[in-house]
Formats: sequence, structure tokens, C-alpha cells
Amino acid sequence: MGRKFDIHYLLDFLPKLLSYLHITLFIVAASILLGLVVGFIIALPRLYKIPVLQRASQVYVSFFRGTPILIQLFLIYYGLPELLKLVHIDVSRANVLVFVILAYALHSGAFISEAIRAAVNGVDRGQVEAAYAIGMSGYQAFTRIVLPQALAISIPILANLVIGNLKDTSLAFTLGAMEMTGKSQTLASATQHFIETYIALSLIYFVISTVLERTFHHLERRLLRHEKQVAEPVVRYGKRRLWKRTLITRLEKGG
Amino acid sequence: MSLDPGFIWTAFLSLFKALPNTLYITIVSVLVGFIIGTAVALIRIYRIPVLYSLASAYVLFIRGTPMLMHLLLIYFGLPILIDGLASALGLGFNSTVIPLIGFAYISFSITAGAYMSEVVRAGILAVNRGQMEAAYSIGMTTPQALRRIVLPQALAVCLPNLSNNLIGMLHGSTLAFTVSVVEINAQAQIVAATNWKFLEAYLAAAMLFWGMTILIEQATAWLERRINKYNRGGVA
Repeated sequence: MGRKFDIHYLLDFLPKLLSYLHITLFIVAASILLGLVVGFIIALPRLYKIPVLQRASQVYVSFFRGTPILIQLFLIYYGLPELLKLVHIDVSRANVLVFVILAYALHSGAFISEAIRAAVNGVDRGQVEAAYAIGMSGYQAFTRIVLPQALAISIPILANLVIGNLKDTSLAFTLGAMEMTGKSQTLASATQHFIETYIALSLIYFVISTVLERTFHHLERRLLRHEKQVAEPVVRYGKRRLWKRTLITRLEKGG
Repeated sequence: MSLDPGFIWTAFLSLFKALPNTLYITIVSVLVGFIIGTAVALIRIYRIPVLYSLASAYVLFIRGTPMLMHLLLIYFGLPILIDGLASALGLGFNSTVIPLIGFAYISFSITAGAYMSEVVRAGILAVNRGQMEAAYSIGMTTPQALRRIVLPQALAVCLPNLSNNLIGMLHGSTLAFTVSVVEINAQAQIVAATNWKFLEAYLAAAMLFWGMTILIEQATAWLERRINKYNRGGVA
């Protein structure tokens, strides 16, 4: 077990861990971008109800949502080389990051496909009909009318996925990837100051996820600015609120 | 090393030894998390002065950091805290009495609590406030109205999210291997390393988790239909 708590180590470790931040962010960015492509390809057969492919994409989504990401990491790490050996491609020298990114991309792809599906179904059917009415082709209607709207709708879900993906990257160290968590493991065991290391690491994760959350919130507001803002009444329970409401109605009645 | 289909089955059978640990971690963390979550949700809805800021900070921090961090922080931090307290107060015990799985229970309950609080909060806010007013009008106190009228309805509303959380905690329990708890993932690593058949062992583990997830999904779908029976609209 570690030695006595020493705040100096915490301050010392923060910059050391931050120097590995770009690798963590690279994993997140690469896997989300790749995941968007995968998710799109997976979502299309189900949106257009293409016979056999629809079933296949259902199984894909069910599998990647139904198993832990940790297991998926190991499956890709040990399974992919075997699969590629069948077509005589040797990947035994490939960087471990390739496997990590691929695993996270396939994992997020399943979730992203669900987000895209929900968002596309969330666009009013009349929009497509209107597009057809002015003579657009199916492809035009999809890319020009439906997709931009669906994107705006899916931003909150995508934001959650990106933040979830950021937090999931803390597992990449299990394959020996040298990102922030991997670095923290070596720092912690080298100095025997475990708790300081993990506090420093938590702080970094916390700040990044907060920044991401803010950014997406901003983006969402921008993308949805054409929508009319409907003021939603604050619905809360509690005597104080109730009392306030009765007070307001009393005032309105002039009592 | 090529795929040995027979070994998948062998690995699958040996994984069952570790199944109870995975289930214990999942069930304990979800149940304790639900209790913490309900308390936090009520504190935040009623804006109880000091507790409100504490609860908000708790939810914000836990949701902003990876689950692995919670586990490692508890695993390395709690013993320091307990031993410090014990030596300061002159108590005759130390942190070694906590079993390894105890750290998993504690940290995953804390994790689940933060996520559950958001689920419960959304559920409570989704219940029509007229229900609360109706309860007040027949003379119920706030705790009575909450317990008898609002919470049962909120539970029905947040059932799908609860099931998602349950699946999330089931998958999250695989992290317990980092504190040397032998759950399914750790057992798969053991079987894989001793037989040098990694792919087969992880395929078996994936199958087991997939099966359990589908079971949970089916069970919730059934439960949802049952619970929402009263919830039909219209005049019929």
C-alpha cells in the first residue's frame, strides 16, 4: 500500500499526466470519427429495411451493446490478428493503439447507429414528403433535408457518447497502451504514491468532460437556433414552490 | 495458435465459477446505488440548503470521471482514511479487515448512485404535478404523498433507464479485476493465460455477458408492460 498522502506529488504528477493527454484525445477523436462512419453504415440497412443486412446490423448492435467494452478490447486484440492471418496479413508488429482505436470505434459505432436511427426517425415524415414534392431524389432528400435536422437532434446523445468514450479510454491501459491512465499506472507504481496519482488523473478527466459538455451544449443551441424556443414551465414539487404559486395566483386575483 | 472451438465451451464452463461474484457486484451496486440515488434526487428536487450543493458536486464529479478512477481512488484512498482515523482515535482495527470485493461494492455503489440519481430525478419530475396537488388536497403530508403517490409512478417512468443502468453496472463489474476480484473477466484472463488460448476465453466471456444482457432486456420489457398496465389513456 502507498505511503502517506503528499500533495506535492499531486502537483508534480499533473503536468506529467497532461503530457499524455493528446494520446487520450487522439483515441477519442479517431474512434468517434471512425465510429460515425461505422454507425452510419450500420444504421442505413435498418432505416431502409434492407432484408438480410437489417438482421445483420441488429446482431452487430446487440453484440456490441450487450458485452462490456473491456471484453471487446481483448476480443479485438487477440481476434483481429487471427482473422487477418486467414488472408495472410501479419499485424503482429502493429501499434497497440490501432487495436484500441478499432475496438472503441466498433463499440461506439453500435451506439452511434442507434443515435442516428432515433434521430432520423425523429425528423418529421412531412419533411421527406415536402422534399419529394419539389422533385428531389431520395438521396437528395436524405442528405439535404433529413440529415442536417437529424444531426441537430442527435447532438445531446452524441455528446453523451463522446464523454462516455473519453471515460472508457481509461481502460486502454489493459492492452498496454501508453495514454493517461497507462502513464498513471507507471507513475504510481514507481513512486508508490497511488492516491495522489489517481486524484490528479481524476481531476484531468473531470475538467475535460466538463469542457466537452459545455462545448456540446453550445453547439446544440447553435444548431437548433432555427427551432422556435418554447418556454417550458418549471415543474417542481415542494411546499415552497406550491406556496409561491398560490401567492402568485392570489396576487393575480388582487387578493 | 488457431481457434479451438472446443475450448470455448471449456472456458465457458469455468467462467460459471466466477458468475456469482459478477452478480453480487452488480446487484449490490445497483441496490445501494438506487438508495443513494433516490436520496440525492430528493435533495436536489427539494433544494435542501447545504446538502443540495454537496449532492450536486457529488453527481458532477462522479459523472465526469471514469468508473475505473472511482474504484482506484477507493481502493487506495479508503485504507489511508480508515487507518488514519483508527490510529488517531486509538481504535483497534485497520483497513485489512475489508475484503477485496468490499472495495468493489463501495466504489461501484458510489458510481451507480450518481447515475441513478439522474434517472430517479427525471422520473420524479416526469410525474404530473397534479398528482402531488391531489395528494395534498386530501391531506397527505409531503413524505406520504411522495411514498404513496409519486415514487411508485416515478419508478414506472424510469424503468427503461434503470435497466440501462443495470446493464451498465453489469458491464462495469468487469473492472473489479483491477483490485484482484475474480469476476468473469478475471476468470477469463486466468483461463486464457493458463491455457494460452486468449481468443477462445474472451469469446466465451462475451457470450456470457451478451446472454445476461439480453435476459435483462427481455425481463425489463416484460416488467414495463406489466407496470404500465394502469397507464392507458382514453375513455375505455
